[in-house]
Amino acid sequence: MLDWPKLRRLFITSPQLQALTIGLLAALFAKAVWTVAPATFTAFDWTAYDTWLRHRAPIAVSPSLTIVSRDPASEERFGTLLDRALLAQVITVAHEAGATAIGLDHRLDHASPAQLGGAASDALLIEAVHAAAPVVFVHDPDSILRSDAAILGHVVVLTDPDHVARQIPLLTMVEAQTVPAFGSILYDLSQQQASPATKSTERATTTLVNPVGNGSLAALPTIPLSSVWEAIQHHDDQKLDGWFKDKVVVILPNAITQSPWLLPTSQSVSGIVAQLQLLNSLLTDDRLCLVGPVGRYGITALLASIVAWCLLRFRGSISLLFAVCAVTIYGALMMTILVGLHLVLPVALPLTAALFVLLGTTAWTHLTAGQRMVLLERDMLRVQQDAAAIREALILRESRAEALQEDLEAAKAAFAQSAGQQEELTRTTESLRSQIAEAQAQEQMARQQLEQVERQLHDLRAAGTKAGTVGDAELDQLRNECRQLGIITQDPTLLRMFRDVKKGAKSPLTVLLLGEPGTGKELFAKAVHRLSPRASKTFIAVNMAAISPELFESELFGHMKGSFTGATADRRGYFELANHGTIFLDEIGDLRLDHQSKLLRVLQEKSFYRVGATTPTTVDVRIVAATNRDLQKGVSEGWFREDLYFRLKGLVFRLPPLRERTRDIPIIVEACLAEMATQMGRPVPKLSNDALRVLTEHDWPGNIRELRHALERAVALSDDSLLTKNSFYFEGVATNEEKAATLAATLPDSASDAAVLNCLRQHGFDMQATAKTLGWDRSTVTQRLKGLCFQALVEANGDQAKAAAVIAGDSTHLRTVELKLMDYYDHLLSVIEPFGTADEALLDCKRRFKNLPDRHFASVETLVRQHCRQKAIPSTGLKKDVQSSR
Amino acid sequence: MSRRLLLVTILFTALNSQPPVHPSFAQAPDDQAPSAAPSESPPPSIDESHLSEFTTRELEDAATILADLRGNVRMFPDNAEARLKLAQGLYRIGDLDAAIDECRVAIKLNPQDAKAHLQLGVILMAKQDWRAAASVLKEAVRLDPAMTHAHYSLGSVQYSLGNVKAAIQSYRQALELQPHFPDARYRLALLLKLTNRDQEAVQLMEDAAQGGIPQAQFFLGNAYKSGQGVKKDLSRAIFWWTTAVAFGHQPAADALSKLRRQALSSDHKDRRRQDALDAFHVYRDKLWEGFPDYSRTDDSETLGTRLLKENRADYAVSVLLQESYALSIVAQGELAKLYESGWGQHLAPFDKKILTCFETTAGEGFVPAKTILARIYGKGIGMQPDLQKAKSALKGLSKQEMMPVLDELGLL
Repeated sequence: MLDWPKLRRLFITSPQLQALTIGLLAALFAKAVWTVAPATFTAFDWTAYDTWLRHRAPIAVSPSLTIVSRDPASEERFGTLLDRALLAQVITVAHEAGATAIGLDHRLDHASPAQLGGAASDALLIEAVHAAAPVVFVHDPDSILRSDAAILGHVVVLTDPDHVARQIPLLTMVEAQTVPAFGSILYDLSQQQASPATKSTERATTTLVNPVGNGSLAALPTIPLSSVWEAIQHHDDQKLDGWFKDKVVVILPNAITQSPWLLPTSQSVSGIVAQLQLLNSLLTDDRLCLVGPVGRYGITALLASIVAWCLLRFRGSISLLFAVCAVTIYGALMMTILVGLHLVLPVALPLTAALFVLLGTTAWTHLTAGQRMVLLERDMLRVQQDAAAIREALILRESRAEALQEDLEAAKAAFAQSAGQQEELTRTTESLRSQIAEAQAQEQMARQQLEQVERQLHDLRAAGTKAGTVGDAELDQLRNECRQLGIITQDPTLLRMFRDVKKGAKSPLTVLLLGEPGTGKELFAKAVHRLSPRASKTFIAVNMAAISPELFESELFGHMKGSFTGATADRRGYFELANHGTIFLDEIGDLRLDHQSKLLRVLQEKSFYRVGATTPTTVDVRIVAATNRDLQKGVSEGWFREDLYFRLKGLVFRLPPLRERTRDIPIIVEACLAEMATQMGRPVPKLSNDALRVLTEHDWPGNIRELRHALERAVALSDDSLLTKNSFYFEGVATNEEKAATLAATLPDSASDAAVLNCLRQHGFDMQATAKTLGWDRSTVTQRLKGLCFQALVEANGDQAKAAAVIAGDSTHLRTVELKLMDYYDHLLSVIEPFGTADEALLDCKRRFKNLPDRHFASVETLVRQHCRQKAIPSTGLKKDVQSSR
Repeated sequence: MSRRLLLVTILFTALNSQPPVHPSFAQAPDDQAPSAAPSESPPPSIDESHLSEFTTRELEDAATILADLRGNVRMFPDNAEARLKLAQGLYRIGDLDAAIDECRVAIKLNPQDAKAHLQLGVILMAKQDWRAAASVLKEAVRLDPAMTHAHYSLGSVQYSLGNVKAAIQSYRQALELQPHFPDARYRLALLLKLTNRDQEAVQLMEDAAQGGIPQAQFFLGNAYKSGQGVKKDLSRAIFWWTTAVAFGHQPAADALSKLRRQALSSDHKDRRRQDALDAFHVYRDKLWEGFPDYSRTDDSETLGTRLLKENRADYAVSVLLQESYALSIVAQGELAKLYESGWGQHLAPFDKKILTCFETTAGEGFVPAKTILARIYGKGIGMQPDLQKAKSALKGLSKQEMMPVLDELGLL
């Protein structure tokens, strides 16, 4: 089945096809117009040819042609009508002299009258024809005399509609009989005489008359019949040989009275003279050729198509100029071919068709302009789609390249490690082998235990034991300890972190707490202090962002009296105050560089100089720092000292935002409401289910602080003891952009991440362009985006579409981000896939994603653990999760 | 054998006569009767003899006769016979229109008169009114189907009208009525030849040739030369051409002259030359067959010399002439002697026919004829001596050939 719409579209969008069609139609129209005024068009068509014929240089006459014609002397001698016996004698003489072919302008349509010899003369002629066979006569349908040796040829000339005879049919039909042209038969006979195997008759049906001079008989050299007769009578063989030997002899015994054919040279000639012209052109091989009807139509259509293409392809006057050029070139070509190759090309038909094309193309252009525009728009759309698809493919390849690069680096590292461990491995191979059997036995045992545990778990599930009430003892203990320290949580992750904090608190290591604002960094700092051996000592919390830069040293290190204006007395700084205790340096990321170096010295040497002091002061202080900014990025970007960062990076704890531990929201709410009720002296308000759902589903960019404020606002504004969702006021429903902004704001080092994200969005998430703009390495941008993606994924609870929408900002680059995000996540999954436990997977992730900012690595950890949970990987952490979820 | 004798008889009879030689055989002689029938020998019908009974003398008295005939018509205006005679007289003097009027009046007077129709048809033929002639002649045939001449004339008219088949039919009917009608045979043979029935045509042509029709003899010679309808035999062609020439048929003379030129051609490699020489030789040998009483004694003897020895005055000179025309050196030598000295009361010296033979063959390149002719011119035998002419006659000969003649003429 033909797809018409597709064909139509192809036609509308293809100037070539349109030009071809218009060309063909124009040629048809031109032909139709021709039939209306054939004489005018024919005359126009042949104008150039006729003019050339009249003005060209004279053409040669073949030396192989002998024409014997009547002359006054022969008329006087033989009378007007010749005795056929005389013709017989001339034929015989010509034949015996060696003529290659003999033709007679004589018709065998009548019997000789008695006074011209009667039947005897006819018989003599037939005898002579037999002897000289074959002899060519003029065809007449009423021929009385018949001879196998006589070939009959027609002397018809075709007259064009303008009454000019230009062509001779090489074959014509006379009463169902095909009759060849007189001249062509003679030529064929002469050629067969020369080479009998070949027949050189023209394959064309007609041929053009190529006249010598003006085309009349006078323009051709002739021998008077009287001279021939004299030579015969005097047996002048030499003369006869000169005339007839190896010649094509044409005898014109009749007086040429009628000249019905008007040649292009304006000369009227008889049919036999036209045949003589044909014979001469054949003998001299100086033929004029005419392009056939199909060729004429083809050339017309071609020129018309070219003109149409010029008009369609170009616009305005330039198109007309090209079209005129095409027509002019054709005219010049036509004349060149006519003069050089003697090939006659059509004139009137192509020019008429070109004129039709001019009109038709204009109309067509106007008619189809609208449709073309529609198709153009569709094309643009398609191109845009194609571009998007290519961009996606590019992104995928880019991401794949990055992943492969990471894999390569990891592999290199592993290889290096392996190389280093090879010897040790070799040494331990034997012992390992011996341990394998034992491990296999243990594994078998563990499997049995696992099966037992799973059976128990199954039994427990079947019993429908209430989830959450029965928890892990350690977790409960941790939860209780947390509650005692003001940390309200039942989130296993946080509890495990608390466990680590508890362990780490006992060591003198510096603790660095990372987390969004309101995630409880200060609480953890206090927990560190209270859980440390220094719990009985002082805990000093200093907000570094709140300290005036001028008073930084004075505030932290103290000053001596008179060291500066206003220093009226000695003052101990925060470090001295926290001696033997713990100092909590909040917002450490906002510290100026010069202050960072001063702080670094304190951390390194545990001693400092008070302002204005000359002797150092040594203190024993446990440092706990916190920030919501990405210090690693600060290091890479130069706004945070690397040595200070490493000094602070003793124990690093990343506090999860509230949206990552939504299960804690009810108990936090409950605790907060109880506390507020106590403070306000009011009964503890209850929370409706829908309100709780709203609170749970809210993002809480300000984390617990915001939650607390929301509750305080709700309690303060509510008269009822039941808080519904209407009691809570959130500032509108956040749009994607707002969410993104929120995300940026809540992320550690939010300003930088937001800037990077904006930059990425501006460049359509093109890593190279973004890296160029930021002046970074491309891999840095990639790592940053990867981190953001993971983080967004965590915040969206694994909903990739949602996470992508957050990162993309708007729908323009949604697909790009989706692809990148999917790729990053898939890569992450492929990395962790081989590992049995989340911890093992995370260890490998740390190696593989070592360039990922730390604040984002928490997201990786979350994702890994979620994935492992979903896969029910038997790991300790997961077990705990499972138990806690119960 | 008897047939050959007949042919030879015809030949010699013809040779002994002196027929006029026409420039073209096809052209009817001016003094020929205006009968459309091109027959040189009228058919032997008694009924039609009136058409050819006029003699030259009577023609001279035509005016007187016409006056008498008119007087008869005035006296007997309703006498058809008188009117037909007047018409004949008018036809003689070439007043065809008046003759036609008289014929028509006679037919009106006696519509059943077939002869009157025939006469009118013949006059109309002379006027080349073929359609009217055909109509009238058909009427004559209808009135008298046994009228041979009417069929014959109708055949000619039909041919002129282009009705070849009808013409053949008419000639056949004429021959059925009168089988010994050589002219009709010749005419029929021509038409059969034109319709590519060569074998039948040759048969009829041979009959006509034997009947003494020179045109038939000529065409028969042509047929033997080209092998159309008969086996090719150049010697027989020479025979029939010679026979026709004897009747004064110029085309036959031309054909023979052409053949002699071929035989005397300087191109010794030309096959046609040898064929022609052989043909003349065979022809000369065949002449003996006409005289079975004589036989050749030696190779140098010719029939003519033998007849001369035998004092056969009736045939000797004509045979010598035939042999001379057939390029016999011996015969030419004998004729040279006869020319110079004559043969008693049988032949006067300086015979023109002999001189013409020498001149003709010399012109065609026959060397002995050239030397004889040079001697005749140089010595002035039968004419005034003309050395220039003698030298001219020797043109084209080698020195060796010329030397004896020049020596004899004292030109060395």
